[in-house]
Amino acid sequence: MFYYKIQKRLYLTFVILLLIFLAIILRLFYIQVFKTKSLNELASNLWSRNLPILADRGLITDRNGIILAENITTTSLVVIPNQIKNKEKVSEDIAKILNTDYLNIYKFVSKRSSIERVHPVGRGLSYDVAEKINNLNYDGVYLVKESKRYYPYETMLSHVLGYVGIDNQGLSGIELEYDKYLKGNDGAIKYFSDGKGNRLDLSEVYTEPVKGNNLALTIDAKIQEMVERELDNVMISLNPDQALVLIMNPNTSEVIAMSSRPNFDSNNYQDYDIETINRNLPIWGTYEPGSTFKIITLAASLEEKTINLFEDHFYDSGSVTVESARIKCWKSGGHGSQTYLEVVQNSCNPGFVSLGQKLGTNLLYDYLIKFGFGTKTGIDLNGESSGILFKLDQMGPIETATTAFGQGISVTPLQQVRGVSAAINGGKLHIPYIVRSISEPETNEVIVLNKPKLIKNVISEETSKLVRYALETVVAHGTGRNSYIENYRVGGKTGTAQKVKDGVYMVGNYILSFIGFFPADKPDYIIYVAVDNPKGITQYGGTVSAPVAKNIILSIIDYLHYKPIKNELQKEYMWLDTKYLYLENVVGKNVKEIKEQLKNFKIEYSGSGTNIIEQNPKGDTYVKEGSIVKLMLN
Amino acid sequence: MVKNIGIIIPTIILTLFGLLMVYSSSNIWSEYKFNDSFHYLRHQSIFVVIGFVIMYILSKIDYKMYYKKANWILLICFLLLGLVLIPGIGIIRNGSRSWFGIGAFGIQPSEFAKICLIIFMAKYLSNNVKDMSDFKKGALPILIVIFIFFGLIMLEPDFGTGMVIVISLIGMLFVSNIKLNFFAYTGVAGLIGMVGLIIAAPYRVARIVSYLNPWSDPLGSGFQIIQSLYAIGPGGLFGLGLGNSIQKHFYLPEPQTDFIFAIISEEFGFLGIIILAGLYLYLFYKVLKISANINDLFGKYLSFGLIFGIIFQTVLNISVVIGLLPVTGVTLPFFSYGGSSLLVSLASIGIILNIGKNVK
Repeated sequence: MFYYKIQKRLYLTFVILLLIFLAIILRLFYIQVFKTKSLNELASNLWSRNLPILADRGLITDRNGIILAENITTTSLVVIPNQIKNKEKVSEDIAKILNTDYLNIYKFVSKRSSIERVHPVGRGLSYDVAEKINNLNYDGVYLVKESKRYYPYETMLSHVLGYVGIDNQGLSGIELEYDKYLKGNDGAIKYFSDGKGNRLDLSEVYTEPVKGNNLALTIDAKIQEMVERELDNVMISLNPDQALVLIMNPNTSEVIAMSSRPNFDSNNYQDYDIETINRNLPIWGTYEPGSTFKIITLAASLEEKTINLFEDHFYDSGSVTVESARIKCWKSGGHGSQTYLEVVQNSCNPGFVSLGQKLGTNLLYDYLIKFGFGTKTGIDLNGESSGILFKLDQMGPIETATTAFGQGISVTPLQQVRGVSAAINGGKLHIPYIVRSISEPETNEVIVLNKPKLIKNVISEETSKLVRYALETVVAHGTGRNSYIENYRVGGKTGTAQKVKDGVYMVGNYILSFIGFFPADKPDYIIYVAVDNPKGITQYGGTVSAPVAKNIILSIIDYLHYKPIKNELQKEYMWLDTKYLYLENVVGKNVKEIKEQLKNFKIEYSGSGTNIIEQNPKGDTYVKEGSIVKLMLN
Repeated sequence: MVKNIGIIIPTIILTLFGLLMVYSSSNIWSEYKFNDSFHYLRHQSIFVVIGFVIMYILSKIDYKMYYKKANWILLICFLLLGLVLIPGIGIIRNGSRSWFGIGAFGIQPSEFAKICLIIFMAKYLSNNVKDMSDFKKGALPILIVIFIFFGLIMLEPDFGTGMVIVISLIGMLFVSNIKLNFFAYTGVAGLIGMVGLIIAAPYRVARIVSYLNPWSDPLGSGFQIIQSLYAIGPGGLFGLGLGNSIQKHFYLPEPQTDFIFAIISEEFGFLGIIILAGLYLYLFYKVLKISANINDLFGKYLSFGLIFGIIFQTVLNISVVIGLLPVTGVTLPFFSYGGSSLLVSLASIGIILNIGKNVK
């Protein structure tokens, strides 16, 4: 009995210790299986010194593959002070190679830190110098490859592209918005060292940096260049406070070009003040749109059929009184009796007040919201503003009247362009975008492909067609005639908005804008130009901004080989304007037959035959009245 | 001898594996301190040889001899423990005056006190079978003896060894005829004592906190345990392989001594540790079979006490290394560098082997 009891206790102790062993094993399982990764990472920080290798950021290209942001490779000197035994000798030798002061190097070598970049003398080393340092073969002295962002076009598109910081991190623009795609993964060389800081002979672990993904923008670099050139000209000739151009594809709301002044060089962003860098005016700036906004009022009126564009008339006495406020037309004395088409062509404010009144406050407001005003468009760029509308319950008759011709509200250029796009593209409102695709750097496989994002249809195709027509007549017969281009169809609308400072309209200080689209019957491009407070010129949108748009359209025509057409709307001539006449194609005809046809031109012959084998300018085009037509005879 | 093969083989495997690990964990420090990476290996090899000789000799000496000499053995042990406390005779190492220096070697009397007290306890228990159910007549006198020796060891101080001795003796009481409520009382008394110690010295709270979360003081009290976890964790399932420990490169201090288990875990991983635990448990089980089967009460208590001391010390050491208990400073039997620890373990096995021969 007694022995049996002892035996039981003996085996009981075995069971108890077995359980304790089990607890130990469970704890070890927890440490060595569940915690192994995190402990290994913590321990790795203790054991190893990482020499970071910056990854190449992804390239940013335009829609045709032209590189807008790339990387250049430099070699830099890095020291790990702990691993350097003879600090004096090492400093001396390196100082000699780098041609610098001994102390300049020694201060890095003797620092109590895990890893030191020798900045700035050890950065951007040439191959020869790097080779010499490499040949020293000192422990703790390393050369690392560094990738540095470079923008070959410097100031071009700088607000859109943005810039990167010292560690290659995106800080604004596309670089910031798409940083997670562009940045890639930095690599490293891991050197192990023992508890006393000496280098261990364990194999070094090399983690290859992974390049960032490439971005293709919707931007067309060629058109962007034209825009930059025009803006530079505007800055030189008119010395405005600010200026901007925004070009989109109205059918998709892809941004084709975007620029503003003042601008900056992304390579040297430190040299510019932060306001200049941060203000990407086409999406950040907000101001009264003025008359370009009338397009929205027109579209709403046509869609709601509150007027007949061709048959209903409006009599403009030069002003209209709404409640107690008197709203004047920009033309003193008024335009007299006009059809509503003429109201649009003349940009007649009282006429638009009547359009707004016919719509009523609620409907007008509905359309503002429908066309996307008052909220951010959602473009894939940082720093967008939302603009300001009246609240519906604050909108009395005066607010309705001024809103109808684009005063008392504030919009961004992007909202304006996107809204007008919907008015002319058949009624489709999109979310604008600027990144077309994201692709793998090695395989070029597209991983993200951005497509147009339709929000909704805001007006019908028929209404949209009427708006296009009306705006084409504005260019041909109305206030936009300075953007008229012979043999091509252009539609558009000017705007002159008085700037507001501290709630008061400023005197003689305007933002002059023009919104145009081309070709007018089936638009591929919508172009917005705004010039803020130009000096030494009559301050009308038609005189300042329309010619800029015209120059850009002419460049696009040239660049994309748009064919001239015959049936564009004829310009209506004012007595000052030069008249353009249709020039027939006379090649192959007899000299005698064509006398009558070319009576409005001066003819110069070369050759002595009777049949025409070549003519200059070519036929089927419009040519200035009285200009020289050269005919080559056989 | 064939009878005890189940004890001899795990003992030899553990000892030789221990020797290998002493080399693997110490070679870096050894090279640094002595310009000789084999320094610790050479010393430990000598202890292994001496240890095996002692084990062999003791296996030949009839264990009943200790029964007769138990009182003398206890007296000698008492004198040695007293002597070591006298400055000039005892040497201070690692903050404890617990060493006799003999040339380059040191001997810790407290390690040997373990065997002495277990012998005395075994004799006491086998002599007082009837009285053990009576607290005053049975347990109290031996508890006083235990308390005196524990006090002597705590004067050095060597809390770890003191702990191992006390728990080994209490384990022996447990398998004797003593009533279980005795342990309930001592347990309550122990708790009250602990609370008393904490009230007396509140810094102990901080020590317990730092053991619960070593990262609260990573460069102070948590340092060793963090370095230990940095060895064990990265070892993972399969380990880094023999000789590949990183933590032995001046990260874990004195890796060949109390924290050698961390290096074993780092180099052999979780699976290696399972095998190691299996060996210890197998040895424990084999000796328990002897204790269970021998008719002589003294042999029963003695063999149990000796193996229980070894296994409890193993558990205590590992629990500290893996952060389950605060740092106490006990060695891992058969593995940790140091003569006293190894000789005592092998001597214990030698005595057990002789007892095993007497099993019918």
